[in-house]
Amino acid sequence: MTNSVSRREFLNLLGAYGGTSAVLQAGAALGFMPSSSQAAEIALQANSGKKVAILGTGISALTTAWELTKAGYDCTLLEASHRPGGRMFTVRSGTVIDEIGNYQRCEWDNDPHLYFNAGAARIPSIHSNVLKYCKELEVELQVFVNESKTAWVQDDAMNGGKPVRNTDYSSSMQGFISEMLSKALGDSQLDSSLTESESETLLGMLRRFGDLNEDMLYKGSTRAGYGSGGFLDHGTKKDVVALRDLLKARNGGSVMVTTQEGTGSGPLLMQPVGGMDRIIYAFANRLGDRIKFRAPVTEVMVKDDGVEVAYEQNGVTEVLKADYCFNCIPSHLMSGIPNNFPDDYSEALNYIRRGRAYKAAFQAKERFWEKENIYGGITWVNAPIQQIWYPPHNIHGKKGVVLAAYNFGGANYTEMSQQDRIEDLLKHGEKVHPNYREMAQKPMTIAWHRMNHMLGCAPRWARDRGGWSDKEEQMYETLRQPVNGRHYLIGDQSTQHSAWMESAIQSAHYALADLDQRVRSEPV
Amino acid sequence: MKKFVTATTLILSALCSMASLAAEGDVGVAAAMDDRYCTTCHGAEGIGNIAIEAPRLAGMEAWYLKRQLENFRAGIRGTHGEDIQGIAMRPMAAKLSDESIADIVDWVGDWEYVAAEATVEGNVRQGRTAFQACAACHGANAQGNEALGAPALAGQNDWYLLTQLRNFRAGFRGSHQEDTFGSQMVTMSKTLTDDQAVINVVSYINTL
Ligand SMILES: Cc1cc2nc3c(=O)[nH]c(=O)nc-3n(C[C@H](O)[C@H](O)[C@H](O)COP(=O)(O)OP(=O)(O)OC[C@H]3O[C@@H](n4cnc5c(N)ncnc54)[C@H](O)[C@@H]3O)c2cc1C
Repeated sequence: MTNSVSRREFLNLLGAYGGTSAVLQAGAALGFMPSSSQAAEIALQANSGKKVAILGTGISALTTAWELTKAGYDCTLLEASHRPGGRMFTVRSGTVIDEIGNYQRCEWDNDPHLYFNAGAARIPSIHSNVLKYCKELEVELQVFVNESKTAWVQDDAMNGGKPVRNTDYSSSMQGFISEMLSKALGDSQLDSSLTESESETLLGMLRRFGDLNEDMLYKGSTRAGYGSGGFLDHGTKKDVVALRDLLKARNGGSVMVTTQEGTGSGPLLMQPVGGMDRIIYAFANRLGDRIKFRAPVTEVMVKDDGVEVAYEQNGVTEVLKADYCFNCIPSHLMSGIPNNFPDDYSEALNYIRRGRAYKAAFQAKERFWEKENIYGGITWVNAPIQQIWYPPHNIHGKKGVVLAAYNFGGANYTEMSQQDRIEDLLKHGEKVHPNYREMAQKPMTIAWHRMNHMLGCAPRWARDRGGWSDKEEQMYETLRQPVNGRHYLIGDQSTQHSAWMESAIQSAHYALADLDQRVRSEPV
Repeated sequence: MKKFVTATTLILSALCSMASLAAEGDVGVAAAMDDRYCTTCHGAEGIGNIAIEAPRLAGMEAWYLKRQLENFRAGIRGTHGEDIQGIAMRPMAAKLSDESIADIVDWVGDWEYVAAEATVEGNVRQGRTAFQACAACHGANAQGNEALGAPALAGQNDWYLLTQLRNFRAGFRGSHQEDTFGSQMVTMSKTLTDDQAVINVVSYINTL
């Protein structure tokens, strides 16, 4: 194998990592958290009646409208859709999924527990601005269980296609990784750059991490549960799944990294009680008839002293004249709306690509997963459906909504018919739960690439996986500057970490700070 | 304008239910009751949208639009595995009823013709020569000819013309056995000997 790490290389690596301890000490960074851990203090100067046009009602737009309204600005929001919230969308009894060519109306039981967050679903504890608004607007939150060790891992190539419990996979994988590492470390101890006590600590950690025996070998772990007994009788360990067998699952990476908090997924996440759109309606209710629905923007003209926005309502074109404009219409839709943006601004706007995402869910006749000792978390399936989520709320209730597919890349679901999508999710789901097909009632699907007024999911900036090019950084800066000091582009499209509500909110705060500064410096 | 009546009622019901927005379900505006979805992809008043690669509809002939919607619906267009944009369009049309198609064609007819911006640059002189073959059906000014089933090309988004000509040449469009007019285009597009010739002819159409 040409790729394997030689002993010499391993030693070098170990040396390199030994050196990093200095960084931690010097920075004393352990108490720090990522930048978003502090919610922004918004203190806009009170204003009497400057007019603001807000385009779209994504969370960035609602944040903007809410803060400006509190400060006394006169806001009007123009929304093309029949509903507010864009990608924060909850499906429940009666909801329409306005996917182009695949109009669906949800006919699940009318029960507050039975909902499906078709867009955003999870709030990490470091997304302080999302949490701040939940608190301010009294949106009740509950814990969302992102990882369950009793959920399943399934790959046709592993275990004859039969699912294994997450814990069987992860405990064994941790065991093997620890065993291999400790072996390498033991062999190389003499020439390694670690001190004896550092090596000891590392070995001790590996032993616990992998649940190794005294000889530092992995011989199975009770973490995977007992083969038999465990309460009245002594528990017996389960058989070890051979490493070679584990390696047949090609989705192991997903299984092993669900618990990373930093980028937003973690064992502890949150969700609003009753659906993600509770946040949207908390804003929308307070904004009341400032929001015009089914009012698609058809032209945006930036003038010397303001912005003129044309929109359609009831078949008539109206013009809204405002002092300022905040716009969260997806960039790929703005390029089909006449405007007079400067060339470099348009170029940057047109550069952003639209990402794909697909989700599906059904109402389960019974909470069948609970009979399998699953009370939340994710089952990983090596098929385009990729994930199955079990609702962590309403435990032991009658029914529940199961997320039956979540492909953050969309696969080829966009072009599939509703019938084919349903068959696809049933076909893969029943490999995990034999009674799946029988349990699934009224599946609903959503391909964001075809959603009316969205046509996409996460905006994609960087063309190169390696990171942002200088040109991209430059275009991004161009879009962050308001056109003529009047037109602000907001939304997660104008951030460097798309697909998060927190980013969208922070984009609004960034634009508001700029506006506030301009208004404050105007001659009185 | 039957649509507007429905819309007004919907808005009224929206306002009435505004107060109880958060209580249950969606805002009180019922979702679209018709199939007038075109502008989301094809731009405001159908001006075309390069980011979605959805061409200009404003000014498109009613008979041509109708035929293409019917072709998409029937799978005569947009089913070849390499016709990426066609594949994206097909599901949008797959469920349209005859009434919906008539309604859409009516609606599109309301939009003003606005010539699209030129983005393709080639050798106009050579393009003009090559265009003689096209002119026979599409007209000397690329104004279209209903009797021959040939749509107007002038004013259409040049990036769209480019994609379609490339698709015809490669057989990604027009290969379906029931696509009578499409198959003529497959043959005719072969008079353009290479991709540069395609670019040139589109550049010439931009001048018309
Ligand atoms: C499948 C999926 C899963 C996600 N998961 C999470 C998650 O777990 N946690 C998280 O924090 N984030 C998640 N996100 C991302 C999050 O939903 C978005 O980052 C955020 O909602 C974007 O808000 P925005 O303000 O940018 O506006 P958007 O939501 O993009 O809203 C754009 C608005 O513009 C409107 N519009 C379009 N055209 C016009 C027009 N012509 N005139 C007027 N209005 C128009 C649209 O109708 C819409 O209301 C997820 C997104 C998706 C799709």
